Order: sequence, then C-alpha cells, then structure tokens
Amino acid sequence: MLALSITNGLVIGIIYALTALGVSLVVGIMNVVNFAHGEFYILAGYFSYLFAHTMGLNPLVAMVLAVGAVFVFGVVVEYTLIRPTYGDDLYSLILTFILSIVLQSAYLLIFGPYPNKPPNWVKGASDVFGLFMYGNQRLAALFAGLAVIGIFFAMLKLTWFGRMIRAASQDREMAELNGINTRRLNMLSFGLGCALAAAAGVILAPVFPVTPTAGVPVALTAFVVVVLGGMGSMPGCVVGGLVLGLVENLGAAYISTGYKHVFMFLILILVLLVRPSGLFGRAET
Amino acid sequence: MMHYKWPLLAAGLLLFALLPWGLGAYHQHILIVSLFYVMMAASWNLLAGYTGQVSFGHAAFAGIGAYASGILAAKAGINPWLGVAAGTLLAALFGLLVGMICLKLGGIYLSLTTLAFSEILHIVINNEYEITRGTMGLQVPGLLNTYSKPGYFYIFLAATLLTLGIVYRLIHSNAGLNFRAVLNDERAAAALGVDVVRVRVLAFTVSSALAGMAGALYGHYLLLITPHIPSLDQQFLVLSMTVIGGLGSFAGPIIGAFSLEILSEYIRAYGEYHVLAFGLVALIVARFAPKGLVGIFRAVWEKRRQAALRPLQPAGRRAGEV
Amino acid sequence: MKKRLILMGIVMAAIGMVLTIGPAQAADTVKIGVVGPRTGGAAATGQAFEEGIQLATAYVNAKGGVLGKNLEVVFQDTAGDPEKAASGFERLVTRDQVAMVLGESHSSAALAEIEVANRLKVPFVVVEAWADPITAKNYRYVFRAGPSNSGVVNDTIAKWVAYEGFKKAYIVAENTDWGLGIAELTEAALKSAGVPYESLVTERKSQDHYTELTKIKAYDPDVVLAFVYGTGLHYFIAQAGEVGLTPKAVVLDGAGPPSLWPDFWTNVGDYGNLECFVSSMHEKVELTPLATEFREAYVKAFGKAPTDYKSRSIYDAILIAADAINRAGSTDSEKVVDALEKTDLLVTRGTAKFSTEKGGPEYHHWMPPMLVIQWQDKEQVVLYPPEGATGKLKR
Repeated sequence: MLALSITNGLVIGIIYALTALGVSLVVGIMNVVNFAHGEFYILAGYFSYLFAHTMGLNPLVAMVLAVGAVFVFGVVVEYTLIRPTYGDDLYSLILTFILSIVLQSAYLLIFGPYPNKPPNWVKGASDVFGLFMYGNQRLAALFAGLAVIGIFFAMLKLTWFGRMIRAASQDREMAELNGINTRRLNMLSFGLGCALAAAAGVILAPVFPVTPTAGVPVALTAFVVVVLGGMGSMPGCVVGGLVLGLVENLGAAYISTGYKHVFMFLILILVLLVRPSGLFGRAET
Repeated sequence: MMHYKWPLLAAGLLLFALLPWGLGAYHQHILIVSLFYVMMAASWNLLAGYTGQVSFGHAAFAGIGAYASGILAAKAGINPWLGVAAGTLLAALFGLLVGMICLKLGGIYLSLTTLAFSEILHIVINNEYEITRGTMGLQVPGLLNTYSKPGYFYIFLAATLLTLGIVYRLIHSNAGLNFRAVLNDERAAAALGVDVVRVRVLAFTVSSALAGMAGALYGHYLLLITPHIPSLDQQFLVLSMTVIGGLGSFAGPIIGAFSLEILSEYIRAYGEYHVLAFGLVALIVARFAPKGLVGIFRAVWEKRRQAALRPLQPAGRRAGEV
Repeated sequence: MKKRLILMGIVMAAIGMVLTIGPAQAADTVKIGVVGPRTGGAAATGQAFEEGIQLATAYVNAKGGVLGKNLEVVFQDTAGDPEKAASGFERLVTRDQVAMVLGESHSSAALAEIEVANRLKVPFVVVEAWADPITAKNYRYVFRAGPSNSGVVNDTIAKWVAYEGFKKAYIVAENTDWGLGIAELTEAALKSAGVPYESLVTERKSQDHYTELTKIKAYDPDVVLAFVYGTGLHYFIAQAGEVGLTPKAVVLDGAGPPSLWPDFWTNVGDYGNLECFVSSMHEKVELTPLATEFREAYVKAFGKAPTDYKSRSIYDAILIAADAINRAGSTDSEKVVDALEKTDLLVTRGTAKFSTEKGGPEYHHWMPPMLVIQWQDKEQVVLYPPEGATGKLKR
C-alpha cells in the first residue's frame, strides 16, 4: 500500500507540477490568475481525442498537434480578453472565471457529457519492483511529464526567450526599459502557459478521460501548488506539485479516501496563515 | 429626476407587491427565486463592487445558512424561523473567521481562500451524508404551515428589502466611505488612517451574514437542501448577475438578478444552451461594458442630458464623454 | 446610442411579456411529463429515454391516442440532481400542465420528486429509480413500474451469487440513496446466505480508484458487487484490470446500463471482457410479443439494435400511463390513480400489475424480471436465471 501510494503520488505530483508551471508563468509575467487554466488542459485532451480518434492520426502526433492548437487558442484569448485587463486584478479574475464557465458549457455542447478518452500509447500493466501492479499508461505519463518539465527548464535557462521570461518576471519595468516588447512577451507567455496545461492534459487524458467539468479541480490544484511553492517560483511549482501529490495519496490511503481533496485546501490555508510567500517565493511588496 | 425618486420607488414597490395575485404558481416561483438572487447579488456586490474583493465563497455562506437551518429543523425539530436566525448567525461567524484569515492579504489570495473554503464545505457536505444526506438532498419543513406561494413571496420580499436596506445604509455611512476609499486606492486610504483590514472584515462579515439568511430562507422554500446551493455554479450565477447588472452600483444586482433569472426560465425550453448563452452574454458585458446594464443606461442618460444642454455646439466626441 | 436605449426597451418589454403570457394551451393533445437525466453523468440514459419516448408515442397515437387526442410527451431534464428534479417536476405540472409524470433514473432525484407529487397530488410512475423508500413511503400518487433495490437484490443478485457458488464477496457502493440502499440490502442477503463479505463506499464521480482497489485486492474476493452508476464504473473496471484484481475476481455491475453505453469499450479496453452486469433486456430473450414489436420498431427508427434497457422501461411506462388514463376516462388525478391500481396490461417486460399491499416497498410496485449477463468476447451471454441462460460463467 505504501509503495503504491508513493508511486501514485509521484505520478500525479508531476502532472500537478506541470499544470502549475503554466499558472506560475502567467502570474509571474502578467500578474494575471487565469481561472480558465483547467479548461485549456481539458481542451487539449479533447483535441488529442479528436485528432487521434476521429481523424485517425498517430496518437503521439495527435498529442503534439493538440498542444499546438491550444497554444494558438491561448494567444487568441490573451489578445481578445486578457489584454484590456492589465493592472486590474479584479477584472481579470472575473473575466477568466466567466470564461471558464463558458468553455465548460461549450465543451458540454460540442463534445457531449461522456468522458472522451484518447487512445493509450501503451497498454496493460507492469509489475513494479515486484511490489504491485501499475498501469503502464500511468508510468508513461510519469516519464512524459518529467521530460516536458525538463525541456521547459532547459528552455528557461538556455534560450533567449527563457531569458526574457526570467527578466520580465523579476522586474517588468526594467525589462521594458531594456528593450523587451512586453506586449508580445505577454501574448507568447500566456500561450505558453496554456500550452503547459495542454501538455499535462494530453499526457494524462488517456488515464483520466476528459469531461466538460473536469477542468475545475485541475485549475484549483494548480493554484494551490503555486501558492505552496511560492508565487513566481518555477522550481517551487515542481516541489509543491510533488508534495501535494504525495500528501493527497498518502492521506487517501491512510486517513480517508473521501476527504482526499480536502488535504489540498488545508495545505493552502496553512500556507496562507503561516508563510504566504510559499516555500520558495519572494515576499509580496 | 431627484424629486420623483422616492414616490416613484414606493409606487413601483406597491405594484410589485401586488403581483402574486395576478400570476400563476409557476410565475410566482420565478419571482421568489429572483428575489433570492437579488439578495445574493446585492450582498456579493457589497464585497466585490464596493470593496473590491472578489469572493468565490459567497454561495458557500448561503449553503452554511441553509444547512445549519435545515439540519436543526429536520434533525432537531427546531422551528424553521429560529433556524433561519441561527443560520444567519453561523454564516456571519464563518464570514468573520474566513475574513480574518485572508483579508490581510487580499486580492488573489482572498479569492483563492474563499474558493478553497467553498470547496472544503462542498466536500464535507458530501462526505458527512449521514447528517446532511449529501447529494441525496435533505428534506426540511417549510416556513409556513400551509404551503402558500404568495406567502413565501412576501417573506422573500421582506427579506430582500431588509438586505437592500442594510446594504444601502452601509454604503451611505461612514463605513461606506471607507469602503470606497479602500477600493479606489488602498495605500492612500491607509495613509489617511483608514484601517483597511477592519473595513474589509466588516464588509465580509455583513455580506456573509446576508448570504446565510438568503440561503436559509431559500432552503425552507424549496423544502429540499442539496449541495447545489453552496456550489460554484451558484457562485457563477450570482457573479454574472452582478456583473451584467452593474458591478459597484446599487441597482445593478437587482436588475441583473431579475433579468437573468427570468431570461433563464425562458431559455430553459432550449435545454442545455442556457448556461452557455448566459456565460457568453456575461463575457461580452464584462469585456465591453464593465459597468453592466446600469452602466449602459447611465451612459445613454448622460449622453442625452449633455446633448440637451448644448444645443448650439457641434456634435462630437469630447474628452470625458462616453 | 439611441439604439442601446431601444434595445434595452425591447429587453424590458420581452421580460414583461414573458411574465404575463401564460403557457400556450394546445387543447388538442394530452400531455404526459417525463423526468430524467438529459445532461450529467448519466446523460446516456436520457438518450435512451428519448428513444423509448419516441417509439411509445408513435405506438400509442397509432392505436388511437389518449382520450381520443394525440399523446404529447414533455421531457424535463433533472440531471440526477434532487433540486433540479423537484423544480423540474413542479414545472411540468404548473407550466406544462401535464396529466401525470413518469420516469426518473436516479433514486435521490426520485425521492425529491415524490414529495412534490404528493404535495401537488399528481400521479407519478417511477421507472428506473430503485431505492426502496420510493414506494415504501406508501404515497398514494406514487407507483413504480420497474426494479426496486430489494427486488433486484433478493430475486436476482443474491440468488446469482448462491447459484455460482461464490465464496467471498466485496461490496462497493456509491454514496447515493441507490448505492447505499442496495448495498445495505445486499449485505443483509449475503449475511443470511452465509457468504462472508466486506464493503466500502466510494464517490460516484471519482476517477481514481487505485487505493480502493488495492484494499479490495487484499481481501481476495471471488466476486466484486459494484454499485456505481455512471462512467465512474468504467474507470473502476479499467483500473480493476490494471491492478490485477480481475480476472481472478468477477465484477458485477449492479446497475447495468453503464456496461452497455457506447463508450464502454473505449474507456475500459480489454478489461471489459468477462465483466457481468444486471439487465432487464437481452437480444435473444424476448418475453412477450410486444418486446419483439419494440425491437423491430427500434431498428426501423434508429438503424441499430436496442442495447440500453432503459429505453424499453420508459416505453412500458408510457403504455401503462396511456392505458390508465383511457380507462379512467379523464385526466383527473384521483380517477387516474384508481385506474392505475387496476392495471393489468401486457408490455415488453411482461404483464404489468401493481400491488396494493401496504406497509412496505411492494406497495404500488410492479417488479419486472431481471437477468445477469456477462460480456464474453464482446457478446452478451445470459448467466441467470437458469431458465433463460444462454451460457455459463467464464473466468
């Protein structure tokens, strides 16, 4: 039981971390909390299902295309909806909250209420260290998640774009003074944030099929991870995600399955009370 | 316009109060539900529109009121009226507690904490189904011994007027000035000696108490309390009604609640489309007309007034005109 | 800007009109209401209901309609939610002015609806909500033309467990009126049959059952009785296969339809093979000539064979309702209730007759026969009752 819970916790934790990175990116650069984050995750799952199932493309190709499609969608949303809200937190919160509900209803109408499951890349289950059986698709999700996170951090550290992101999230005005086109950066960052959510979505959709309302808990978890890890800290997201995943699964196994999701919120409240800047975050001005 | 304000309002109210006698049971039901939403929207607006705090836990406080009152009535046999009072108090208490936790940080942290609170409540209600009957719904006695739609209408009308009255008094009091100071510029307000946190906590507590009362009354009207009352869906409805009606204005929540509830019944014939339709309208209004219907109306009124006052000037856009 | 004012005026006028104009009265049809989940996790049942409604309406109108007029069915979505159910039921009666209401597939929703039926004094025939209290409350206006938890457990599930000689059982129940109710009855039945068991409660909408399945696997049961309704069941089956609980243990879907929904195989994959489920319909088992007629009409209308038994259940209910109103000679509630009590009608699942024995869930209840079916290489094989069996249990 312990080994299974830890493994489950790690798998889910990596996916939480991936989703949270998307939120953290957008918050760090634009100071916008995107309530519809979960819906981008779900959209990617739907696209992945569409491309693979209905259009018959290779599952991996479908996944990449799905992420790309959501990236574009994210950019469009930024341009039409988010842009006018700069500086006004209240406004963007309300707008993205409404957007979240609109997308959920749209999904219900377009894709129907049944869960849509993109095909597995791998089937069956494996014997993990001789301790328990574990679904292969979940193991694949773990490795895929780690890979994407790795690529993301590499991009942050090594590329021009990554440097711009780091600069803008540290001090926006200075970045502007140094010649960075923050408008375009915002657009691309928002798109990238959505793309990260999309990546998490396509990775996990074969395990947990997507339904119109499944995005809400995804977004909530991402927010909690960001607060836990520290607003604006990327490594914080990874640590926060893993911690959350482990706590949830161990809690479910040993304390109560029914209250699994409450642990996440208790952590949130604890963090806000004790150390609002999170594990690795910078203190608020 | 100012001279006619109060008599006009009184006449309108009288007409409104006579409505039940001209409508069938179904339409009376719509009115009662609309009044519930007016109470919810007005109290949420107090927080979001006047103090600038976006709480996602408003429906949760209504749920606390509803469940507290319902459980006392159904399991302990307490008189529903006392139950409503108890529910209101409990909601106020939770409002105070939650307020104290998160209002110091405000902004996004407040929204997240209220969201978290809302979800925790939802989960607790579902899991403790032995007491709350979870998703199965808790059957509770009504406020009136013999069921009468007009009776409930008047109860809700009274409660709505009470809510609106409290909100009105609060906005137009010293505390209300403080609210707006905090909303407009937090730092300036603090520099002037406004205790920002206390102001927010006051607004939050009052707002939660009003939501609790509304929820308790609603539960005893429906005769059935389900986790739908403290749900994000309800929160969304209340938020949209306020936004579409006009965030930060007094009449906004009233207009928004009635329009959307009546519209929703009308669209219900088309089944699944109505949430999407609402959401889209709310999105468009929020994006292009952030002051809502009230804002549009005011802008139109302003424009006509300006046009009437300047008949000799060439028509054209000047700075400051909408 | 004048346009905006005009627009607002129109909106206000429209609102005013909606308030004042009452429901349009079409005096040349008799309306019956149906409640059910058109949206939500069991929307597939709503779909099945739609199909049954279409066929039944055509059948009834072809035979002369109701009281000489055409039958019109109004289908109100309740999404399995008690609050929507109560308000939806009331809307059917006050706005749509239906003569009676049929349907419902969620017990919690039904329990809310029977209160409204009782208050408004409107006949309500429950179709696929199984919780005992629905009829055990002995409300005069409430009837049940479908399975009840005690009926399904005592007549089918408990007997099947004994028939197959299972040694250890595990009961998994969702936290709803139906799940908890049927689990309790099953526990009692297993206890009196001397079969050891353990049980747990799960969240219907949950997607991750690994922790629970690990617990179940540790107990090493022969059979897992899963009372989870909706796509939650699909995840349960798929994950049961992944953790290796099946095929050693046999899983029974205690409701039935989820195992028949279009995306069962997509979601469950190969782990769906050898899964058992309860059903009141099977392609090769046709108990009455009306069942054959139903199947032929279904194929003609929808181009495929019927799979979800709930389409037949609502079909039967509509026939019963039309028959009762015709015999009552009016839509007056009291007369209809009296007529319903005297029902003796051949429908697709047998001859419908409501018991008038008070004191328990048998009051106003007609229990149609249920089968236990197993998926064997994507074929439905009837395992129980032995008289109707088309094969044996495979493990």
